Amino acid sequence: MSATLTPQAGRATRGTTATKPVESRWERLAPYGYVAPFYLLFAVFGLFPLVFTFVVALFDWNPIGDRTFVGLDNFVRLGEDPRFWNALRNTFSIWILSTVPQLVIALVLAQVLNKARLRFASFWRMSMLVPYITSVAATTIVFAQLFDRDYGLLNFFIGLLGFEHVDFKNTVLGSHVLIAVMVTWRWFGYTTLLYLASLQAVPRDLYEAASVDGAGEVKQFFNITLPSLRPVIIFTVITSTIGGLQIFTEPLLLQPTSGTTCGAERQCQTLSLFQFEQGFGVFNFGYGSAIGVALFAIIVVVALINYLLSSRVGRRA
Amino acid sequence: MRTTAPPLAHSPGRRAPSRRQVLSYALAGLGAAAATSACSPSAPTGPRDFTFWSFTGIGQKADVERYMSANPGVTIKLTEVGSSQETAQALTTAIAGGKVPDLALVQAADLPKFALSPDNFVDYRRLGGDDVGAPYLDWVIAQATTRGGQVIGIPTDVGGLAVAYRKDLFAAAGLPTDRDEVSALWPDWPSFIETGRRYTEATGNAFVDNAATSVFYQALGQVSEQFYDADGGYAYTNPQVRQAFDWSLDALAAGISARVDSFGSAWNAGIGRGAFAVTCSPSWMLGTIKSQAPDLEGQWDLATIPNGIGNWGGSYLAIPAAAERKEAAWEYVRSVQSPASQLQHFVDAGSLPTTPENYSEPELADFTDPYFSNAPTGAIFTKAVLDITPFPVGRYTAEIGTELQNAIKAVELSAADPAQAWAKGVRNVEIVVGDL
Repeated sequence: MSATLTPQAGRATRGTTATKPVESRWERLAPYGYVAPFYLLFAVFGLFPLVFTFVVALFDWNPIGDRTFVGLDNFVRLGEDPRFWNALRNTFSIWILSTVPQLVIALVLAQVLNKARLRFASFWRMSMLVPYITSVAATTIVFAQLFDRDYGLLNFFIGLLGFEHVDFKNTVLGSHVLIAVMVTWRWFGYTTLLYLASLQAVPRDLYEAASVDGAGEVKQFFNITLPSLRPVIIFTVITSTIGGLQIFTEPLLLQPTSGTTCGAERQCQTLSLFQFEQGFGVFNFGYGSAIGVALFAIIVVVALINYLLSSRVGRRA
Repeated sequence: MRTTAPPLAHSPGRRAPSRRQVLSYALAGLGAAAATSACSPSAPTGPRDFTFWSFTGIGQKADVERYMSANPGVTIKLTEVGSSQETAQALTTAIAGGKVPDLALVQAADLPKFALSPDNFVDYRRLGGDDVGAPYLDWVIAQATTRGGQVIGIPTDVGGLAVAYRKDLFAAAGLPTDRDEVSALWPDWPSFIETGRRYTEATGNAFVDNAATSVFYQALGQVSEQFYDADGGYAYTNPQVRQAFDWSLDALAAGISARVDSFGSAWNAGIGRGAFAVTCSPSWMLGTIKSQAPDLEGQWDLATIPNGIGNWGGSYLAIPAAAERKEAAWEYVRSVQSPASQLQHFVDAGSLPTTPENYSEPELADFTDPYFSNAPTGAIFTKAVLDITPFPVGRYTAEIGTELQNAIKAVELSAADPAQAWAKGVRNVEIVVGDL
């Protein structure tokens, strides 16, 4: 950046008055300096890999061998690959099964925790975060044991009731439900606290006035709580979408015996898991990158649709 | 500041570095330092020092320590990267990035992918002469020999096969318990399945842990042609593979499988609970059985595998071409993987040597394992690996095997239609080997 020194410019900085202190360059630049670290790190570890992924996706790229430019072949192949469509279906199914209950549970819990006459309120509010701070791996291993076909605690009770044991891990629906339960378990507390924080900001007079007017709990929820929570609901829907479409650890650890396919028939292989399998299992870097690009595009589109839909929540008068 | 600022503030001035610049340089430096030190082997100092990547829980540490105490002044920087797959991934990334260890342990299943680009590894013939592979089992060294004749791996161990069976459960089912009589029950897979049927009819319990691994995977290792033909073309629909597949479907149809996936939590629990009476066990699995069921000492025994031969697993030591200390690494490989050292390794840790010249040594031939009713494990496992026919392998050997095995697992675990299994497996293989 070159600055041409003109007389006017020089005068402009020197011309000071008592009421208007000089704004030195330092002060104008300082804020940029403070935010710079994030953007620099993001450029190195976020933006560059992102752009590079788009480049690699155009190649047949063996990390330790040849790389040949193949244009859009990887994407054509992706469209014809039943494994990709299967992973897409699984990803959406798991995402819906985990996000919807999670947000609903969080809404209800936040409403309950917001009650003024709740005893030990701080304790209840803090304990919400316990699942969230537990390691994903530990959670997955414990849940996988609980839901085991032969020796799981859950199937033990199902057996006691005289029913056949349910094989959660090796059926499509069962494995999706199991992963969704784990995701919900992990995130519901976090979301609840976000909602609660928003609710705390809602003036109590509103609720009191509504009570005086004879509005019941349910009516208050729909006419006061939901509209006040709109911004944070939009926020959580979008963040849980981005997270939910990238589910990776749970399906990977759920089926340790089947590597990266999450079951013999890829019952619960998500898109990120499929991407990992192709990239670091088979070392098809080009094809793996193409999956990554597709996942990126899908998340952008879905997040956008989500935004449009969720911004209508609570708009009802 | 004397100079005037341009109205735009998104780039640093040219005169003096702003605080932001200093900060960003520092950060960039930090980032670079972190990136380079994160997973690159630091350069060793002495001429005989070198860096070595291995898997966890494989017992390379003992070898390294013994070598270092025998050679004072030599430092080996051993990194246990993780599982065999994680180690192969790290090695691939390292080769792609150019910062490699001087020596790496590679699982047999991962070797074909590395053998595709042999220039990434040192050809052992250049270090140890043309007959560098002579002391080792021919079919084992064949898997580490590229189509061009380069030898890129020296085998550390193999996984000879046997059938581990529960004597007490066999007795309860009215089956013989003596290991020679039991071995005589199943000269081949159909008679193995028939024995299972007898057991299940007598007891109502499952006979074998699963069909996907204990039948299909083992029978698959006994073929003379597997997924590739001698010219490198695909042969995965050949009759021998199909036969192995059909035997495992027969086992499922006979209802003799406990339907527990090998190495899963239910499988670990099943070993101690008698959920199955037999499992096909390579030599390296004995430790798992012992640790899962310590109170069953003397109840387990070992019989020969149907068809008599078989191997599962084993590893190789490879020296990346970009290694700085090739000679030091080679000196180590030559010393630690000599026939005498491999025999010592068997005595210490039970890993099966790849050097047939010492299979008749008393330390190995007369070795018995008290946990397995004093079965002569050394003799049983070495007999299983002597007459294996080497078959060609290729880039997708591991993936093709997984897809076909998954087609069996789908029937076994997810109640898929057995009549469709083969067609489905073959279709999935076609997707995997599609023109990538």
